[in-house]
Amino acid sequence: MRKWLVPAVMIGALMAAAASPAHAHKLKVFATAVGERIEGTVYFVGGGPAPGARILVESTDGKPIEELTADDAGAFAITAKVRTDHVIVTDSADGHSARTTIPASLLPTSLPLPASVPATTATESPGSTAPAPTLEGREGRTGDPNATEASIAQAVAQQVAPLRQQLSAYEDQVRLRDVLGGLGYILGLAGLFAWMRARRPTGGGR
Amino acid sequence: MAHIPDGVLSAPVLIGAAAATAVGVAIALKRLDSERIPQTAVLTAVFFVASLVHIPIGPTSVHPLLSGLMGLVLGWAAVPAVLVGLVLQAAFFGFGGITVLGVNTFNIALPALLIAAVIGPLLRTAVNPRRIALLGALAGAVGVVLTAVLVCLSLAFSAQEYRPALTIVLASYAPLAAVEAVLTAAAVSLLRRVKPELLSVGGARHA
Repeated sequence: MRKWLVPAVMIGALMAAAASPAHAHKLKVFATAVGERIEGTVYFVGGGPAPGARILVESTDGKPIEELTADDAGAFAITAKVRTDHVIVTDSADGHSARTTIPASLLPTSLPLPASVPATTATESPGSTAPAPTLEGREGRTGDPNATEASIAQAVAQQVAPLRQQLSAYEDQVRLRDVLGGLGYILGLAGLFAWMRARRPTGGGR
Repeated sequence: MAHIPDGVLSAPVLIGAAAATAVGVAIALKRLDSERIPQTAVLTAVFFVASLVHIPIGPTSVHPLLSGLMGLVLGWAAVPAVLVGLVLQAAFFGFGGITVLGVNTFNIALPALLIAAVIGPLLRTAVNPRRIALLGALAGAVGVVLTAVLVCLSLAFSAQEYRPALTIVLASYAPLAAVEAVLTAAAVSLLRRVKPELLSVGGARHA
């Protein structure tokens, strides 16, 4: 009776851990664009934020746009100056790394296209004068259809941001079917291997 | 943090470890008997699921590796067991990745092989239950520490910038080593009492 206690407890603990929705230890970066601002967080899946993670923002062709560090809650924000794909690469300095991409289509059309902006302006600090002209334009001409469209796009982006985050968190979850699928594969592989060995007369079978 | 993700390590480290792993798997499959397939599969399954037991420690988080137990029970068969477990973890859970399979397998399987070679024979001759438990604990702790060292070496050889953080990574494995020492001691003591042939077969043919 007692000798079964140890494996029973071990198996119970393993199953309890596998059944809980949040676990694992993968670094993830989540980012979304609201207007010109790209906001995001770096976190360990199921393990809380990754404070102080290094964040490198670059274009799709690998050109660095900006480099910054996540705050204590693992959060970061930059202001986009060019309407191009922003690749956000992060690294927690102990070998974990993750990346995500903000496609150009999420950024407002009021931003200049990459070709029209020299690369040097991209290294400026966020919150500079770059977005100011667009704001002035919006206030000055309220009837401007472009400005209305931009503010609607921004409002929608703000509403959708938490939804995106939730979706991303949902994606991270290891679900029971993943565990069962993996166990099924192991069983199948073992069966396949045993079958191959059994067919070979010189194999381990007798 | 035994699952190093894609895109962190340099090519020489990746290729070297992949080659070593390929050789290890080839040797192991040649030595694997039909009778040992079920126990290999069972330990593969346990290894696969154990990565979900997540223990947050400091800036990183760890999970049981079971390399000590796998080494003692499986011997050489630990190499394909780890490889299959890691492939499935990458596919189903997104841990690690495909290009780093060789490195991650190497980092977990090499300690298992060393434990099988050094602690395996000692365990087979041990009769005192306390000594058996102690050897099991040693296997569990040594497996974790060796893997931690190998992970740090992989990172250190790939990029200079990881070196400052490595002492923290190493330190974060200490609690895991303690947990795994207890786990492996319990498992080994039990196996020795209930199914001693599992341990002696593993040692005799595969050390």
